[in-house]
Amino acid sequence: MGILLFISVLLVAACGLIYELVAGTLASYLVGDSVFQFSTIIGTYLFAMGIGSALSRYLDRGLVYRFVWIELLLGVIGGFSSALLMMAFAFTQGFELILYALVMVMGVLVGLEIPLLMRIVRDRYEFRDVIAHVLTFDYLGALGASLLFPILLVPRLGLVRSAMLFGLVNAGVALWTTYLFSTQLSGTRTLRVACLVVLCALGVGMADARRITATAEDNIYADDIIFARDTRYQHVVLTRFKDDLRLFLNSHLQFSSRDEYRYHEALIHPGLAAVPAPRHVLVLGGGDGLAVREILKYPQIESITVVDLDPEMTTLFSTHPLLTKLNDKAFLSPRAHITNADAFPWVDSNTESFDFIVIDFPDPTNYSLGKLYTTAFYRAAARHLSAQGLMVVQSTSPMFARDSFWCIAETLKQAGLETHPYHVYVPSFGEWGFVLASTRAYTPPVSLPSGLRFINLEGLSALFQFPPDMAPLAMPPNQLNSQVLVRMYENDWKDVSH
Amino acid sequence: MKVGRRKFLRTGSAALVGLSLKTDRPIRGSFVNDSFQMGHLLRNRASFPPAKRIERFPVVIVGGGIAGLSVAWRLRQRGFTDFVVLEMNPEAGGNARWGENEITAYPWAAHYVPVPGPKAAYVRELFEDLGVLKNGQWEERNLCFAPQERLFLYGRWQDGIEPAIGLTQRDRDEFRHLEELFANFRASGEFTIPLELGRSSKHQDLDRLSFADWLELQGCRSRLVNWYMNYACRDDYGALAKDTSAWAGVHYFSSRESEEKGPLTWPEGNGWITRRLLERVGANVRTKQLVHRIAETKRGASVFAGDTEFQSEFVIFAAPTFLAPYLVLGFPRLHDFIYSPWLTANLTLERLPDSRGAEPTWDTVFLDSPTLGYVDATHQSLRTHVERTVWTFYWALADGTPAENRQLLLDKDWNYWKEAILHDLERVHSDIRQCVSRIDVMRMGHAMIRPAVGSVFSEERRHLTRRDTRLLFANSDLSSISIFEEAQYHGVLAAQTVLDNLHGHR
Repeated sequence: MGILLFISVLLVAACGLIYELVAGTLASYLVGDSVFQFSTIIGTYLFAMGIGSALSRYLDRGLVYRFVWIELLLGVIGGFSSALLMMAFAFTQGFELILYALVMVMGVLVGLEIPLLMRIVRDRYEFRDVIAHVLTFDYLGALGASLLFPILLVPRLGLVRSAMLFGLVNAGVALWTTYLFSTQLSGTRTLRVACLVVLCALGVGMADARRITATAEDNIYADDIIFARDTRYQHVVLTRFKDDLRLFLNSHLQFSSRDEYRYHEALIHPGLAAVPAPRHVLVLGGGDGLAVREILKYPQIESITVVDLDPEMTTLFSTHPLLTKLNDKAFLSPRAHITNADAFPWVDSNTESFDFIVIDFPDPTNYSLGKLYTTAFYRAAARHLSAQGLMVVQSTSPMFARDSFWCIAETLKQAGLETHPYHVYVPSFGEWGFVLASTRAYTPPVSLPSGLRFINLEGLSALFQFPPDMAPLAMPPNQLNSQVLVRMYENDWKDVSH
Repeated sequence: MKVGRRKFLRTGSAALVGLSLKTDRPIRGSFVNDSFQMGHLLRNRASFPPAKRIERFPVVIVGGGIAGLSVAWRLRQRGFTDFVVLEMNPEAGGNARWGENEITAYPWAAHYVPVPGPKAAYVRELFEDLGVLKNGQWEERNLCFAPQERLFLYGRWQDGIEPAIGLTQRDRDEFRHLEELFANFRASGEFTIPLELGRSSKHQDLDRLSFADWLELQGCRSRLVNWYMNYACRDDYGALAKDTSAWAGVHYFSSRESEEKGPLTWPEGNGWITRRLLERVGANVRTKQLVHRIAETKRGASVFAGDTEFQSEFVIFAAPTFLAPYLVLGFPRLHDFIYSPWLTANLTLERLPDSRGAEPTWDTVFLDSPTLGYVDATHQSLRTHVERTVWTFYWALADGTPAENRQLLLDKDWNYWKEAILHDLERVHSDIRQCVSRIDVMRMGHAMIRPAVGSVFSEERRHLTRRDTRLLFANSDLSSISIFEEAQYHGVLAAQTVLDNLHGHR
């Protein structure tokens, strides 16, 4: 019985920590300022545990009975805490009040658990053994929970279901306790029924979590800006209007979730599907993981190296539930390898070769970004192409920035590459252009991965046709010392906005 | 509901901001690469130890700047290795020395070479050797990245250094008039680099008056035109237009095709070329070798450095020529060699200062500043994101006589120059003191030859370019202007003369 008892100590300790982490993480997501949220929540929680411990002295009879009820209460409150907080944020004005009240209640209950358990088992062991064993398993449980939470629970289950899962654990411990201590309990039947009711409620909750989250989110993100941060490198803003999620970097639209599939399918498949037996892919830029999502549709690809400057971007797109939903958890794939580095020096110093290279940088709005659209850069990038390899470059709009688009194509040509420009219509962007570049002739693909929403074999050749208003123009190449593209781009878009 | 939450956060963050006090960063630094102490030993004819050792080299080169290293480059290129380069300083390179910290390499003086024209054949040959010129194409990474230059004037920035905004019609007319004159001089083919290849007596009269007087004769009264002409003279000659020969002033504007490509530059400026040259000839270079006496002998000359006597058949004097009277026994006093004193400083910046919205450029100049502005060492970086950088600040002490300014360099302490530099930068970058963590200052009493009136066609100078002696001169000051191409030209020529004569002997 001893070991079983101590395992329940371990489990309740884990539950306690999980609720605290859920509250902290959720508050950070919803309100921002994670340092402030975690500090105040941990502080309040520990303080409440102290109150719980203090109150435990007033409980002197029916300790096991009371312990079971505490576990059940915690199972319900903790288990539904995450859903409750999301609803509170979405539908009430008092998120903070509810947050700290909830943290207080959970803290008090968790604070009662360990003193009660110690007293329950004190007759069976020496006092010093009780202290040693209970605290050992208590801390072990905390360690387990703190590792599970970021590695498995948040990415796999999400916050709502993680909390419910541990609510189930609490209720399970309650039920189990009724068997462990059946001799010291009266009214075990009522208790067991209560346990089953709680377990069922949480089980239903688990199954229905998606709907709860969706209901809450619809309200939470009625606001325009749902995320805004100045990282070391750029200003990241995420907006949402109904089901349309948009990412802006330095105020430039990067994608709209409604039609980004058009952009990313067009970016990847005309090139990648044409490479015979591709195994290694390089993505320069593309910190949103959407290009990687498309590349992962090729089972024969062994590795995808993503080089993006901003670790906060790649972390955001590896963890934020809305964004990982959009990129299908692309960055969590064991085939994806993320490097946070400045692209040009990385390309210069790295020696690997790749079968497909995706160059997906923000538009050349300033001289710094302009360096990544030069003959020098394309020459350096092309050195990484395998014999059969292809490279694709996002090349701004051939419609609104026609000069710029053909300047990029010319730059690739001057870098010694054969070019195959094409374009697609992306509603939120307008006409958008790409240039495929290679050291050998390009043969269009004969098959495509299944499940594509936009690109198909029949329509492929049309992408490479440019109507008169986007037809090729003779442009000078963009070089490090001239950077004609930056001015050109500025003028192109000035014409559009006027 | 959102308002309440935002207000709550704003109050919280405001409280945190209040805790961080805005303070100036402590700025460290010192004088570096001082070499006047050694120069003064020579000037005062201090007693040096007698020679204890004798070494023999057919060729001894005095001075390891670009001229001396170019001699060495040509000698080794032609398979001749039995020579030594003696350099006084701990590092070779002269005006093409460089420094390096954890952020970047940076120049200590010369920081670019204009794309050489067709006449500068030796420079083109060198750049082919260094991989800068490949199949007639200039390596893109070695050309100065855009945007290159900006001028701060009237509280705003403009592209390029020649004033282009706030000009009156008269200013414009004068600029255009000068442009036409310079184009004609250019077309005459007499203003070339190397200077020796085009110079003829046809325009010798220009060497008899100052550039300032010449400008006045052309009717230039515009303040902006005069500022720009003076800036050019300070930048290339360390002198004001009134102290510069009109021939040299014209040469500055008429010797190069208006070239949109250039210049060639590197993070460490011309230090990059020094590095590449040292890779090729470093084995022949000895540093910390203060040459204190050169005595011509029957079969050549002896060069005394430290306690060693280097016996040679040929000595190539590639150090600044003004040192010759102090070193070479029986050498006459020189009259036509005047040098401009300079100060350069390298500033370590922990972040970029406020630049009133402008993107950083390679070269930044302020209108009406006594200084020449600064060059950004990370400009040639391939990174898209630069947080810390090094600025090389240039200051030709042109106002006043060179002797007065040399004294000023000696008299004032580091703190004085630090404050002067920050004061200059503060006019444009108001928060510069919060950005700079280090300022190292290099003082050069004889930084560059000054093409004073009469010096381009100086008889004394012509005499020193004689090739029929065993003591040959090779410093760029033989051309009366101190630029990379001239130093390299004289170095290569001297090497070829020596090679011809050595072969002739054998």
